[in-house]
Amino acid sequence: MGDHTSEARRAGRRQFLRTGVLLAGGLALPGLTRRVAAEDKPPIGTYPAGIQGNSVTIGIAVPRTGTYAEQGEDELKGWQLAVEHINGGHPLIREISPKTKKGVLGKELKVVVADSAAKPNDAVQAQQRFITEDKVILMTGSTSSAVAVAMNKLAQREKVLYVTGISGSNDTTGKDCVRYGFRQNFYGETAANAIGPVLLKAYGKGKKAAFMTPDYTYGHTVTKSVNDYLTKNGGWQMVTNQVSPLGAPDYSSYLTNIANSDAEILVNVNWGHDAVLSVQQAKQFGIIPRMKLVIPYQIPFLAKDVTAELTEGVYAATDFWWTLQDKYPLAKMFVEAFEKKYGYKPEWGAENAYMSFALWAEAVENAGTFYPPDVIKSYEAGRKLNSMVGEVYFRKEDHQLVRPVVIVRGKTPKQMRNKEDFWEVTEVVPGGPLMQKPDAFGCKLGDYT
Amino acid sequence: MITWPNFVSQLFNGLALGALLALIASGLTIIYGTLGVLNLAHGAMFMLGGYAGFAAYQASGSFVVAVVAGTLALLVVGLLMERVIVRHFYARPHEDQLLVTFGLAIVFVETVRWLFSSESKTVSPPAALAGITPLGFMMYPTYRLAVVGIVAVALLVLFLVLYRTRLGMIVRAGIEDAMMVDCLGINVDRVFMVVFGIGAMAAGFAGIVNAPIVSLTPEVGEAILVQTFVVVVIGGVGSFPGAVLGGLIAGEIISLTSMVNPGYAYVMLFAAMTLVLMIRPRGLLGAHGRE
Amino acid sequence: MSVDRIDSPRRPLLVAGVTAAALIAAPFVLPWLGAAPNTVNRILVWGLFGIGFDILFGYTGLLSFGQSALYGTGGFVAAYLLTRAGFPSIVAALLTGMAAAAAVGYLVGLVALRRTGIYFAMITVAIAEVFYFVEFNPLADWTGGENGLPGVPTPSVNLGFTTLHFTTGWALYPFLAFCYFVGIAIALRIVRSPVGVVLRGIRENPLRTAAVGHNVHGYKLAAFVIAAAYAGLAGGLLGVLQAFMPPEAFTFETSGQLVIQTAIGGRGMLFGPLAGAALWLFLQDFLQGPLGLGATWKLVLGLVFVVLVVFLREGILGGIRDLYRRVARRKGEEDAAGAEPAGTPTRPPAATPAPSREHAGNGFSGPIMQTISLTKHYGGVAANQAIDFSVDAGEVRGIIGPNGAGKTTFFRMLTCEVLPTAGTILFKGRDITGMDMTEVCQLGLTKSYQVNQLFNRLTVRENVTIAALAALRGKFRLDLMRRLSDISGLDGRVGHTLELVGLAGRRDTPVAQLAYGEKRRLEIGLALASSPSLLLLDEPLAGMSPTERAETVRLLKSIGQERTMIVIDHDMDSLFELAERITVLQEGRVLAEGRPADIKANTRVQEAYLGGLNGAQA
Repeated sequence: MGDHTSEARRAGRRQFLRTGVLLAGGLALPGLTRRVAAEDKPPIGTYPAGIQGNSVTIGIAVPRTGTYAEQGEDELKGWQLAVEHINGGHPLIREISPKTKKGVLGKELKVVVADSAAKPNDAVQAQQRFITEDKVILMTGSTSSAVAVAMNKLAQREKVLYVTGISGSNDTTGKDCVRYGFRQNFYGETAANAIGPVLLKAYGKGKKAAFMTPDYTYGHTVTKSVNDYLTKNGGWQMVTNQVSPLGAPDYSSYLTNIANSDAEILVNVNWGHDAVLSVQQAKQFGIIPRMKLVIPYQIPFLAKDVTAELTEGVYAATDFWWTLQDKYPLAKMFVEAFEKKYGYKPEWGAENAYMSFALWAEAVENAGTFYPPDVIKSYEAGRKLNSMVGEVYFRKEDHQLVRPVVIVRGKTPKQMRNKEDFWEVTEVVPGGPLMQKPDAFGCKLGDYT
Repeated sequence: MITWPNFVSQLFNGLALGALLALIASGLTIIYGTLGVLNLAHGAMFMLGGYAGFAAYQASGSFVVAVVAGTLALLVVGLLMERVIVRHFYARPHEDQLLVTFGLAIVFVETVRWLFSSESKTVSPPAALAGITPLGFMMYPTYRLAVVGIVAVALLVLFLVLYRTRLGMIVRAGIEDAMMVDCLGINVDRVFMVVFGIGAMAAGFAGIVNAPIVSLTPEVGEAILVQTFVVVVIGGVGSFPGAVLGGLIAGEIISLTSMVNPGYAYVMLFAAMTLVLMIRPRGLLGAHGRE
Repeated sequence: MSVDRIDSPRRPLLVAGVTAAALIAAPFVLPWLGAAPNTVNRILVWGLFGIGFDILFGYTGLLSFGQSALYGTGGFVAAYLLTRAGFPSIVAALLTGMAAAAAVGYLVGLVALRRTGIYFAMITVAIAEVFYFVEFNPLADWTGGENGLPGVPTPSVNLGFTTLHFTTGWALYPFLAFCYFVGIAIALRIVRSPVGVVLRGIRENPLRTAAVGHNVHGYKLAAFVIAAAYAGLAGGLLGVLQAFMPPEAFTFETSGQLVIQTAIGGRGMLFGPLAGAALWLFLQDFLQGPLGLGATWKLVLGLVFVVLVVFLREGILGGIRDLYRRVARRKGEEDAAGAEPAGTPTRPPAATPAPSREHAGNGFSGPIMQTISLTKHYGGVAANQAIDFSVDAGEVRGIIGPNGAGKTTFFRMLTCEVLPTAGTILFKGRDITGMDMTEVCQLGLTKSYQVNQLFNRLTVRENVTIAALAALRGKFRLDLMRRLSDISGLDGRVGHTLELVGLAGRRDTPVAQLAYGEKRRLEIGLALASSPSLLLLDEPLAGMSPTERAETVRLLKSIGQERTMIVIDHDMDSLFELAERITVLQEGRVLAEGRPADIKANTRVQEAYLGGLNGAQA
């Protein structure tokens, strides 16, 4: 499954001309499709222009270069697998979205992809192009919360739905939430509240911690949430917070400061390649294993890149780990399908991507239409849905999926049963109690139209 | 936080960082001093050295082979670049020179991205040098210690070439007055080519030697480029001792500022450069009248 | 070699009209070419950003890699006002952003413009990096840090009888097109104004521009502020276009993209950045989309850029313009059979009555120039030692001396090009020691240089115009909107100067095509154009053939009738014919002074030149 860029573009152009004539009258084309023969909803965003013909297009802006490239490629595979499954009516999709037969409301899904390099500017530029040329009816892609926030605003302005990719900042469904945006994965506040008790239990109270924080809101909000929990509930003390820019090549200065503090625990909030580098260099400076490493927001492929020697005994909070397949049948189906297609077991980025599409398909099928306000209301209805980690539902006040957080601990090299067996799931913490009150972070959803 | 052990540690960090900058800046300064061309592709050359070394490392498994490959590859790149493109720009205004080297930098970076992808590549230090050395005030990665030594040797070699060989004398004369060298019957074309090659080689060597520390991405040269300019400005254009001094100063500015707030390290560096440009534009060890 | 015309394009309204027509036609024509509205909008924003940059780089020759700092400043101020501060009017916010950027540009320029060339470029790089860091970190509360400022609204303009809503895509286009049009119209006026002429002079030869009496630093700063204003407005429009203001606006990459686009499109033509942006964005879309190259599109772009810089020095638009000119010139050459080919014998200078001047020596008598114990040391070398020198008004004085005597150094001190180590210089009785070259020129003292200091890519007339403008307008005047034709006396002064040096028939010839003798005459003409009371001439006869020499002496004689002149030369015969008194310098000191006949016969002078057969001199 690749990107059908040129086809979609030609289709888009044809549609541009056609739409210009048809929008005036608001007519829909006679039934090439099974359903949606006569839609009498007013045009909004890319609707109904984007649903003419027998396919609809989804716009993906994902980092394929830069600090988060490795994770971005993994997410892309998740989306592409989801599209393949939805178009074919795969049993896994049917578990999540029972009304799906083939495609979404009978229409085939196509995707167009652009490289965002985790930069909001590039992502917005690409998606704007997708909206005007390909008439995408859904947008996705973030990995960096800055992109997610920018996309939120774009979605609200253009009136095109947006589901986040990976986004860990509290702000995405907090102060920067929008009516047209939805988030599937866990985030800073829930990560902190899930891993906090685990850390207190494992390491005790009154510990001294050194934090490494990437200098943007994801980093700052996660550090704040984690530190707040640990200091309030366990009397821990943050002896230093080393803030580094995204993409820093050399952590020696920061690590020297940490090495000379009297911290006992190293909490590393850096992500993507920054995490790989900072962990490797921390080892070189002797900080690991002298201090205990904690990863409050896990990074796909971290363990593979730094090797199990460095992640053994490390606690992390994550969205998904493949060994959950032993406990959850949907996880098993997913891991098998992914591994069969791509040759390795999926990380949580791919799982997040897959789930976000599956949940969208469910919302649309349930609404019976692509008309965005109706789809939004379908999400907000709060139905209990099936997922790879049990039952989940969307919270209508902030469009955040209420879902469990998975706590893992790194295995020692000896404990690994195969090349990918890096983490051991220690608990699956229910999401509801972990979340802040709906209005606690200042979320004000916008208008439907 | 400013404590005695931290201070000493950062001082040492600065030495390691500064040595590397000194080497790269030496290459840049002799190119600029002799040819009058500010090579905006210098950072990209640093990156290319790393990748050439990486490719050799993949093929051979030996770090030494990687270092040799990285250095030689950049010698070739430097010679070719001068011969094919830069040579035609000596008569053109400075801005055109900046533009063409800027463009070449982009071409280098994107070519590497195309060949190697954007994912970061790791080069492991030789087993003998991997590991940690206790230094009393802190633990320090052995390889970083080794780098100080390696770079010092490289600088020494460069010094010997520049000050003890005939070629070096011609190069230094060329820095002073290229036209005169030409009038003396020395083939200036060849001298320029060699100078560019040497300058590129210094950057390439630094690139592969540095690779085990920071890991390679196509963007690794960008930050280095800006820092190297600052070093050249502080030390003085066309001055090899100036590059060394400037490098050490820059390294210390970065690491000592990091003690207080790492984020401000580069701002301090730029502030230092601006200060030098305002007060002593020729740099600390630069020759008068070469502004 | 391409020629830059001050009054080009010849019909200003035509350019503006064509631009307007093209902008209006675009939304109807471009979609058929497959252009997306957002891409076109982006091109307009980059084009507007580039207009200011082109004025700075293309017209003034200042290559700045720091424009992103101003772009971001304007953009974030506007975005902040619109999102967090609840400003009601988009247009007001944009204008405020622009003003903020201009103010910041002024401050930045004060720092950056202290140096030139490569150092200037490097300071701008540093400034770009520092601004990015500051907006990201300490100011994150205002700028949103890495998130940027989302939620920038789209403009609505209330016209009283109706309100226009500009939303996105083609609906937003008219707003941006209008901004671009206004930007271009203003820029066209600026580059054709006297300020524009001076900027071009600065690009070609900053030293000479200062020497003919312009406050170069002031004009550079003005160009910098203008570029900053355009950048700031463009930044604000970016926020509107994207509904969010990204921190990327501040990155070095943004500055770099601007530079590349301008170089690709062509500098010094105002429309270059627009063309460059169109190519860049087109390639970005085309290479990633239909060709599916993915991340390699940038490699192709880099190669295109390098190729263009190497081969098409003036960019795409420049290449088109050169092609057009070459075709036009070939036709012109066929038509003008009887025209004067280059290299005809120089026309003898016409004996015309003196033009009216403000600085004429009339009214001043006595020593117009005096130096007291003037000394200059360069390190251990004493170039000039305790020189006492005096010239009376109306005199023609010659200065001779063997090589290394310190003659040129002396002249450079007189014009205040270099600072004396010790001593005093009095001009018309006034102490000018330590003044700067520009001021001294405005007082009525100019010099023609030993090595031609001309504005090489401009025409003869344009060269003299630059000098004349300083005389008519003083050393600094910000008359950005004024037309050259509105300056009274300009044509007269230029015409007269050209006639005086016998170049009236060559007024539209580019300097590069002049014969050497003609260039030397133009060199003198530049010094003459400001009607100096005291004219210094540094080896005016150097490198001339005997015929040219005779012509030039005749010219100098006629010039010397109206003013005081001091002439350095090695051609004794000519100088003895021309000058009334001669001063001889040797090894930095005055050796002898007197009438030509006396100097010729002076044995010490002879020994100085011939090397001391009696062992007295070294």
